[in-house]
Amino acid sequence: MQNRNRFRHKFGQGTSSDSVKTLNDLQVGEVAQITGFSNHNEILLKIEAMGLRPGRKIKVLQRLGRGILVSTSMSRIVITSDVARSIEVKCEKRSQ
Amino acid sequence: MRKKITVAVTGNPNVGKTTILNHAARANLSVGNWPGVTVERKEGLTAHKGYEIHLVDLPGIYTLDPISEDEKIAHNFLSDGDPDVVLDVIETANAERDLLLTLELLEFGKPMVIALNMIDEAERHGVAVNTFHMSEVLDIPVVKTNGKTGDGVDKLLDAIVDVYENQKVPKPIKYNDRFEDALAQVSEQIRNGSINKHTLIDFLSKSEKGKAQRIALEKFYKKNITTIIKDERYSFANGFFAETFKKKNSTARDITDRIDKVILHPIYGFFIFLAAMFLLFKISFDFSNPLMEWTEGFINNFLSPVVAMALTKAGATEWMLKFFSEAVVGGVGFVITFVPLIGTIYFLLALLEMSGYMPRIAFLMDRFMHKLGLHGKGMIPLLLGFGCNVPAIMATRTLENRRDKLLVIAMIPFMSCPARLIVFSFFAVLFFSNPAIVIFSLYVLGILIGLMTAFFLRKTAFKGRLSHFVMELPPYRVPSLITVVRIVWAQIKNFLYRAGTLIFAASVVIWILLNIPPGIKNPSQSAAAYIGKSITPIFKPIGIKDWRISTSLIPAFLAREIVLSSMGTIYSANVEIEKKNFHVVNELKGQAINLIFAVKESLLSLLKPGINTLKADTGDVNLRNVIKGSFTPASALSFMIFLLLYTSCLATVAVMAREAGKWVALIFLAYSFAIAWVVAFIVYNVGMTL
Repeated sequence: MQNRNRFRHKFGQGTSSDSVKTLNDLQVGEVAQITGFSNHNEILLKIEAMGLRPGRKIKVLQRLGRGILVSTSMSRIVITSDVARSIEVKCEKRSQ
Repeated sequence: MRKKITVAVTGNPNVGKTTILNHAARANLSVGNWPGVTVERKEGLTAHKGYEIHLVDLPGIYTLDPISEDEKIAHNFLSDGDPDVVLDVIETANAERDLLLTLELLEFGKPMVIALNMIDEAERHGVAVNTFHMSEVLDIPVVKTNGKTGDGVDKLLDAIVDVYENQKVPKPIKYNDRFEDALAQVSEQIRNGSINKHTLIDFLSKSEKGKAQRIALEKFYKKNITTIIKDERYSFANGFFAETFKKKNSTARDITDRIDKVILHPIYGFFIFLAAMFLLFKISFDFSNPLMEWTEGFINNFLSPVVAMALTKAGATEWMLKFFSEAVVGGVGFVITFVPLIGTIYFLLALLEMSGYMPRIAFLMDRFMHKLGLHGKGMIPLLLGFGCNVPAIMATRTLENRRDKLLVIAMIPFMSCPARLIVFSFFAVLFFSNPAIVIFSLYVLGILIGLMTAFFLRKTAFKGRLSHFVMELPPYRVPSLITVVRIVWAQIKNFLYRAGTLIFAASVVIWILLNIPPGIKNPSQSAAAYIGKSITPIFKPIGIKDWRISTSLIPAFLAREIVLSSMGTIYSANVEIEKKNFHVVNELKGQAINLIFAVKESLLSLLKPGINTLKADTGDVNLRNVIKGSFTPASALSFMIFLLLYTSCLATVAVMAREAGKWVALIFLAYSFAIAWVVAFIVYNVGMTL
C-alpha cells in the first residue's frame, strides 16, 4: 500500500488534491506547512509546545510502523499516525 | 554556617541541564540510581561566594501545563517547593521552541537567570543572539554557556548569587490590554496581592472566580480560553524571538540527518540495534571480568590479611577476627568485587543515553512493541532494567498513560539486572561446562516471562487501546566523558553505600544468627539453621534441600546479591582461613603489577569476537567447593531461575509501591514468587529426568 502511494507521488498525482491533507498522508521526504489542528486534544497542546505549530514548515524524515519522524527548524519529533491525522498540512514540494 | 540558595534548574528535554549541573556541582552530584535519564530529582551542591548553592534538576518539559507526570513534578516544585532562584536552560539553536517555557517561568515572577546553552552548536548553525537586548527587555541576567567545556558555568553561579542577594525579579510580562484587563479583574476578585501571573492565568482558565472574565474573552475572540491563552503566549514568545535571535544561512550540514538515514533505516536500523545490544553485553562482561578477578584477589589476598594482621597486633580477640573474616570480608568484600561489572554497565548505558541513541531505540522498536500491545517508549525502561530495576521503574514516568505504564512496570522485574548476574555467573561457572549459554538462556527466559505477563495483563486487567506517542529525538552528540564518568561514579558510590549499610547489616545479622546460642560448635545447631530448616519444605520441590541455601534466601530479599554474601557467611563458618605471614610492601607491589595485567587483559578482551567471559573457573575456590556439594546441576539451574523471576529485591518492591501503588506491588510480589516457584519446579523436575 505504502509503495503504491509512493509510486503515485513520484508521478505528481495525489499531491494536488484539494481535500484537506494531514501529516499522516505525507510520505518520506515530503515537505509541508502546518495549517492547523482538527481538534483540541491535550496532546496537540504538547506537540505545539514541542515546535509543531501552525505556520511551521516540516519535513517527513522517516516512517516506521505507526511512527512518523518529522523535522521542524532545529528539532526532530516522532509522532504516531493517530496524532498525525489531527494535524492539517499544505504540501510544498518533494525533496530527497 | 553558609546561607543556602535553592535553585530550580528547568528547561526543555535534552538542552544539557544535566551537564550544566555536572560542571557546577562537580563531585557533589547525587543522581539517584540511574544513568542519564532525567525523570527523578537530581541534585548538586556547590559552594560559591560564601553561599551553598543547592541545584535541583527538574524533569525536562516543554510547557508547564501539567499533562504528564514530568510536567506535574516540575510545576509542583515551582509553585510549592518555593525555590529561591529559577535557572532556565535554553538550547540556543532551538530557542524559538524553548522560549514558551521561559515565558511561563517568567510569569512566576521569581528571581531568575537564563543560561543560553550549547552556544557552540548554535554558532555552527548560524544562530546569533543579542544577549544584551534579551537581558534588558526581561531584566534578568542572561549567560552564554557551553555544556561540553563548562564555559560560562562560573558566571552562571555569579548571576544566581546576584539575583538572590538583590531579590531581582524579572520585569512583569505584559500581554495585550484586553487580556491584561481580564487578569486584573480576576485578581481583584481573589484579593490576594502576592499572587503570581501564572496562577492568575490558571484562575482565569479554570476557576469559578474567573468565570465571568473567561466567558467575556471567549465571546470576544470566538475561541476557547485555552486557545486564547496559548495565542497570547506564542505571540509574545515569537515576537521576542524575532527581536533577539537572528538566523543566518549556515553551511554546516546536519550530520544527525545523515546518521539517522542508516540508524533509523527500517532494516539496517534493526540490525544495528541488535549489534549494539550484543556489544553492550559483550563489553559489560568481557571488559569487567579481569578487573573483577583482580578486585577479588586484592580483597582476599591483600586487604583482608593486612587488616587481620593489624587487628592481631592491636590485640583483637579470636572472636573479633572471626567476625572480620566471616561477616566483613565474606559478606561485604564479596559483593564489592562486582563494582567493575556494575560500573561498566552503567557507563555504557550512560553513553547510549547521552549520545542520543536511547530515544531512537524507542522509535525503532515501537513497530514491534506496538504489535505486542506495548508502547515504544517502554523499550527504554525495559533496557534500563538490565542495568537496575529501580531506576527503570522510575523511568516509566515518561509514559503518560497509566495502562502503558503499568504494563511496562509489570515486565521490568523480569529483566535480569547485574545483581542477578552476580549469582548466575557464580553458579553457572560452577555447574555447567558452557556457562555463557546458561546465562544467556536465563536472560531470554526473563524476557519471555515478562512478555507473557504483559500478554496476560492485556487480556485481563488492561484491555483497551494503546496510547499515542510523541517524543523528540535529540541530535547526536559526543558525550562528555567527564560527565559520564561523574554519573557512573555517583552510581558506584550508591552501590558501595548499599554494600556498606544494607549488605553489611544483613551480613552481621546472619553472622549473629549463625553464632547464637553462644558456644555452639556447629552452625547446624544455630538459630539461623532453625529458621532455614523450617522453611526448607517450601523449597524442597524445586530442589533446594539444604537449610544453608534456604536460610540465605531470607536476607536476599533485601537485594539478590546478598544471597551469595550470606552463603559466604554461612559456609565460611565451615572453612578454615589460611594464616600466612607476608610482607605488606612486596604484596602491594604484586597487587599493582596484577592490576596492570588486569587492565591490559580488559582492553584486549574488547578486540576478541564473541563473549569470552565465564569460560574459566577462577576465584574463591573455598566457597565454590563447599557450595558445589550442596547442589546438582538441576537444582542449581532451578535455584537460578527462582532468583531470576522472584522479585527478591526490597528496593524494587518499594519503588513499585511508590509508582504503581502498594497493592499492585504486593500482588506483583506474590505473583513473581508463584511464577518463580512454578517455573523452577518444572525445570528441576525435567532436569532430574534427563
